[in-house]
Amino acid sequence: MRIASAPDGTIHIDGKVVTALDRFVASVTEIIERYTRYVIVSGYVAILFGRARGTEDIDLFVDYMDRDTFMSFSEDLLEQGFYFLNSDDIGEIYSMLCDRLAVRIAGAGRIIPNIEMTFKKDDFDRYAMSRAKRIQFDDIRFFVSPIELQIPYKLYLGSDKDIEDAVYLWMLFRETLDGDLLRMFMERLQVRGEPYGIEV
Amino acid sequence: MELRFDREKNRQERLAFVRRHALRVREVPNEVWSREQADLIDAFFENAENFALSRSEYLRMHRARRDRPKPLYGDS
Repeated sequence: MRIASAPDGTIHIDGKVVTALDRFVASVTEIIERYTRYVIVSGYVAILFGRARGTEDIDLFVDYMDRDTFMSFSEDLLEQGFYFLNSDDIGEIYSMLCDRLAVRIAGAGRIIPNIEMTFKKDDFDRYAMSRAKRIQFDDIRFFVSPIELQIPYKLYLGSDKDIEDAVYLWMLFRETLDGDLLRMFMERLQVRGEPYGIEV
Repeated sequence: MELRFDREKNRQERLAFVRRHALRVREVPNEVWSREQADLIDAFFENAENFALSRSEYLRMHRARRDRPKPLYGDS
């Protein structure tokens, strides 16, 4: 994998072929960015860097939006051919987000893939948002959570698929990761990487 | 009835594949691994148009998954 870091911190994955999934995610994040900040977390981060698997949902969280901003965002989203799977009542969708529940956004006529969106809710989310990495390839730009947080988070989730994602990211980035940061998140989430060869 | 499936062995084999795949992605040009990955993901994406569950069935499935008792380190 050839990755280049620009002076502004942007990570360029030059030559990466754009997938239909990348296009779907980008078409939604472009709309989100008109209204608030977002950061992509979990499985799609590993997929962006080449993990050979599909996914039915892409997890991201956004900064809090007030009701009026959210209504404008939703209107924009619907005009662009997307919908909320959870309800056609946008007020209900907003209430779900305020209750810290996730809502799902899909393309018209589709169930999967969908984007699972929540308001950011804890210190880990705030860290991921404030230190989000900008990823650029072709004409697409995404903000993703730092890898030093993603590996411990995936171990914390703990399913086979999550552990495989953590191992994949570790194998790919182990020489470039901030070991102190990785250790700190592993301690805070009370996870251990040694059983899987993740030794920091 | 006996289930002849070694879950731990299967898990280790999958992890070994993930490690091998990561090493390959590190070594080959972006154009190569991403072309192979795009073929796989684009096929999934196209096939998803024929997804068998309705909107309400899909949401019910996720609610059930969310509400079930959590294993040691939570759920995905």
